[in-house]
Amino acid sequence: MDASLLTENLSYILPEIVISAALIIIVLFDLIFHNDKRIIPYLAVAGLAVAGFFIIDQFSFEGSAFATSSSANNFGMITVDNFGSFFKLFVVCVSILIVFFSFSSEEIQKTFDRLGEYYALIFGMILGMIILVSASDLILIYLALELLSLSSYVLAGFTKLRDRNSEASLKYLIFGGVSSGLMLFGISIIYGMTGTTNLYLINPLLQAPNLNLITVSFAMILIFTGIGYKISSAPFHFWTPDVYEGAPIVITAFLSVASKAAGFALLIRLIKTTFVTFTSPDGYWQLINAFDWQALLIIISIFTMTLGNFTALWQNNLKRMLAYSSIAHAGYLLLGLVVMSDQGLTAILIYFVFYALMNLGAFYIIMLIANKTGSEEIDDYTGLGSAAPFLGVSLAIFLVSLTGLPPTAGFIGKLYIFIALVDAKMIAVAIIALLNTVVSLYYYVRVLKHMYLQKSDSPKDAILPSTGQILFILILLVPTLLFGVYFTPIVTFAKNSISLLGF
Amino acid sequence: MTIYDIIFYLFAAITVLSAFLVVTAKNIVHSAFYLLFTFFGVAGLYVLLGADFIAIVQIMVYVGGILILLLFGVMLTNKITSVEIKSGTIHVLPAVIGLGLFAAFVLSTMMTTKWKSNPAELPFTTVYDLGYILINEYVLIFELLGILLLIALIGAASIARKDKE
Amino acid sequence: MDGFPILSLLTFLPVLGMIIILFLPKEQSNTIKYTTLVITSLQVVFAVILLGNYNYGAGGIFEQSSFQFIEKFRWIEITGISWIGTVKVDYFMGVDGISVPMVLLTAIISFIATLSSWNIKSQLKGYFALFLLLDTGMMGVFVSLDFFLFYIFWELMLLPMYFLIGIWGGPRKEYAAIKFFIYTLFGSIFILLVMIGLYFSATETIASGERVFTFNMLALMDQTNYSPDGILSPFNPENMRLVAYIALFVGFAIKIPMFPFHTWLPDAHVEAPTPISVILAGVLLKMGTYGILRISYPMFPDITRDLMWYIALFGMVNIIYGALVALAQKDFKKLIAYSSISHMGYVLLGMASLSTTGIAGAVFQMFNHGTITAMLFLIVGVIYDRTHTRGINDFGGLANQMPVYTGFVTVAFFAAIGLPSLSGFVSEALVFVGAFGQESIRVLTMISTLGILLGAAYMLWTLQRIFFGTLPEKWNKLLDIDKREYAMFIPLTIIIIFLGIYPSAMLDIMNTSVNTLVDYVAVSFQNMQLSGF
Repeated sequence: MDASLLTENLSYILPEIVISAALIIIVLFDLIFHNDKRIIPYLAVAGLAVAGFFIIDQFSFEGSAFATSSSANNFGMITVDNFGSFFKLFVVCVSILIVFFSFSSEEIQKTFDRLGEYYALIFGMILGMIILVSASDLILIYLALELLSLSSYVLAGFTKLRDRNSEASLKYLIFGGVSSGLMLFGISIIYGMTGTTNLYLINPLLQAPNLNLITVSFAMILIFTGIGYKISSAPFHFWTPDVYEGAPIVITAFLSVASKAAGFALLIRLIKTTFVTFTSPDGYWQLINAFDWQALLIIISIFTMTLGNFTALWQNNLKRMLAYSSIAHAGYLLLGLVVMSDQGLTAILIYFVFYALMNLGAFYIIMLIANKTGSEEIDDYTGLGSAAPFLGVSLAIFLVSLTGLPPTAGFIGKLYIFIALVDAKMIAVAIIALLNTVVSLYYYVRVLKHMYLQKSDSPKDAILPSTGQILFILILLVPTLLFGVYFTPIVTFAKNSISLLGF
Repeated sequence: MTIYDIIFYLFAAITVLSAFLVVTAKNIVHSAFYLLFTFFGVAGLYVLLGADFIAIVQIMVYVGGILILLLFGVMLTNKITSVEIKSGTIHVLPAVIGLGLFAAFVLSTMMTTKWKSNPAELPFTTVYDLGYILINEYVLIFELLGILLLIALIGAASIARKDKE
Repeated sequence: MDGFPILSLLTFLPVLGMIIILFLPKEQSNTIKYTTLVITSLQVVFAVILLGNYNYGAGGIFEQSSFQFIEKFRWIEITGISWIGTVKVDYFMGVDGISVPMVLLTAIISFIATLSSWNIKSQLKGYFALFLLLDTGMMGVFVSLDFFLFYIFWELMLLPMYFLIGIWGGPRKEYAAIKFFIYTLFGSIFILLVMIGLYFSATETIASGERVFTFNMLALMDQTNYSPDGILSPFNPENMRLVAYIALFVGFAIKIPMFPFHTWLPDAHVEAPTPISVILAGVLLKMGTYGILRISYPMFPDITRDLMWYIALFGMVNIIYGALVALAQKDFKKLIAYSSISHMGYVLLGMASLSTTGIAGAVFQMFNHGTITAMLFLIVGVIYDRTHTRGINDFGGLANQMPVYTGFVTVAFFAAIGLPSLSGFVSEALVFVGAFGQESIRVLTMISTLGILLGAAYMLWTLQRIFFGTLPEKWNKLLDIDKREYAMFIPLTIIIIFLGIYPSAMLDIMNTSVNTLVDYVAVSFQNMQLSGF
């Protein structure tokens, strides 16, 4: 690879380079200036902002970099397209929010002298995610997934203050190790059949006659294991409740939003570049007959959301409840993919934006309350409505939005999913999903019931958030309400972000 | 069956059997020693595939480095050598049936699949090509691996570190 | 009145009030109360102004030109890329003869309920803020002409209602509140599904000449807008219109509430505080029947016609079942709740007749039931405030102790029974005349008349048990009603008597629209038959 080609290739991965550089700077800064750890978060934000700038710069730009000599049609390992840029921007925005999130987290502040490690690992996750969403080569995909997982394992057990913290970390590691091993096996089978790891090259090879379809299906199910684990879809969800409950709340929030988004982006890219021949004018994808993704995803998504919702009903720990709720949301999101159309893809992107707002908001308030009361048990929320009026009302709005009632953003997200389903004439699936919404109402409202309807026996101390914390909540709260009644910008943005390179 | 096949099955058997013993052994030191055979078997397979460099690395890094480190770790940690690892097996029968079915399925699909294969070439040294590819076509992956190792290092330090509280 | 956004004002005035209240300090309970009172009375004033400027001759229902006080502008517009085309949602409001009575009713009942809320003691700020939000939701439902907007308002009411019952309710408030919430959400998901189905079945031409999918109710009523392959299009031989109709009907029926979906109502009523019971019975229940008239009938004339016998059957069941259960009640409030179920049955029966008389009777009954039942719940509230019991058998001989109160009670009871010269009589008579005229449901109508007998029985029996006989010792010191309670009862009494003597005042408002609706359903049905569907 000569210098000019390298420079050109590097210009495609500027955001990734910035994130890596920021990671190195944080590590070095932490080593050199022991006493100025306070500055590290600002370094992190600055790095993310610069990366965000380059990502925005990449919008409406398409290209492929790092082609190997065997890839005749010039599709490389990294693909730059609007779809990838959308998710990169999403990850970076969520990460910026997470940095501010960490400011208010007492769990993280208690480990102040390890702040450098903390941010280094966070950046490891970010790097893994933004490479994952734009990778179009199985080796790179696996590597990015490992980078993401490895950082997450450590972060899940980062504070080590509680036993369940380490337990969460260990459980995460074991489940993660098994699923990534299975995924690697799937990848090797695909390589054995096609002789390439590039998704764009696998596509035509899968259309070849005399292909052993059972082997392809087998490999795909194995690969899906790795992805299903990341998006915590059933039956690969077993780690989720324990890890979400045990990990620091900041990390739980990060895992439930960004990590899930990266997993979805990977799944979508994998299906679309590997299995779609062309997109028909009405937006439906024509799939190669090699593997019936639709059947698999319908079963998985219905199973996932029903299981998530029904198990959430019995939870008494709010973090654990939100873990199951996030499993259920993964099910709703999969519905957008089930329809195999651009319509459904748009719905997924819209849903993710809203899901990030309301889920981060809910976790943030739970964290503020836990900072004060030291508990995430729903029973301890009794009477909180009057002790913390602002936090109570905000949490109520976020939970209502998670249920999907108008006029909140959550409703619009769900509406687009259902619109995609009805358009694809999958009425039965839509009805199951809607009934699931009714079930979910019960456990979300249970929190409201404890906060407002029940009187606590002992008077609660008032919880007064600081101005900065109020501001942070408002940043999430105002869009949650605003996008509920005026969602044009998000939908337009999502519609412009569904184009994948080559399709 | 050629001599090549026999050697392959020999190494494969060594790898799988010793890996099985690693997880079933009751004593952690024994486990570590069984791991030696696993690594060795894998190295043998690499040699068979003509991947000389990787085979050497396997021996040097895994057997010579990691395993020794592991043993030192075990020996220097108090009491750990005598600790009985909980490895009680439950649901043996369902597991055997499940695994058996899975293995049969994998085996049958593997046997019937038409694999893409390249004509066999005379073995020659791969170090040059490997090095060339790693900093040329796969430079991105190479660099990313570096970061992965950095993260692993930080993570390991973070886990090993004693909390001040 | 051209260009003056009176409907938006009516709808969003309470939100304004809510914002003001949220900024008031918690301690100023009187300011909060009076703000709410001012807002709701302004709403009444605007509703009366609306009525004053209302053109009685315009029909509405299906054509935009004959709707009045229209406000229409593009709310959401997402320019399409190749595959789906432009997405648009209109902010579209307007009223016709069916919605004007409901708007009036909402304004009046909200005002009365505010007066009745004067006794609320705890967390005033939250109470009145939620109360006003509820008000906005109700008003919005009655003036929306865009399905999407309609649905937003429809759902907007759930949460305030949940809290109002759940926080300020009786002993089993939590159970009642969540039951209400889950039942109504269950209903509204069906409405949502049909809404999306309709969206994909019909298109409308927009200014640019492009044909786009639409949520516009009026466009959805026009059969010519439907595309041949839409799942809810009459031109699609494999359409799912029957299923969709039933789903939509169930969604609305839960709100009415129609047997067998009624079980949430007694719980909600018994546990809710008096003003909320008043709102619930006075306005919320009407949204179900209003939705059927506004959406199910004109959009599915064919199915409506096929299923009218069943609608009448459910009406009959509601009437008889509600009355029978009411007869067995020992709790005053529960009795009124079941009588309410019975009375909503008349509305269903009248609607099922598909005749001008019957539907006019139904809409009129909606208004009358709103005022009469509101008054009945206020009556229960007055006695409960004083005695903290609602057991019918705990009372007796109150007529001597509280003569004025007894007077109002008698008016309300007789109106509920359907005594001539009171409003309830006219609407029930119209319903029965209309339903009797329709041969297919005549038998059901005849059975339904039993409901009047049963109604008289439980009402008079209750009257006798509570107000006549001997007064128990413990109620010796009961006071008669005070000025605030006068202010609640007098307007309702006037309306009940006035509309009993001069029903045309209300019937004239709805006449043209009801005629238009009946014609429209008949004509579209014929058109569809002619074209072979």
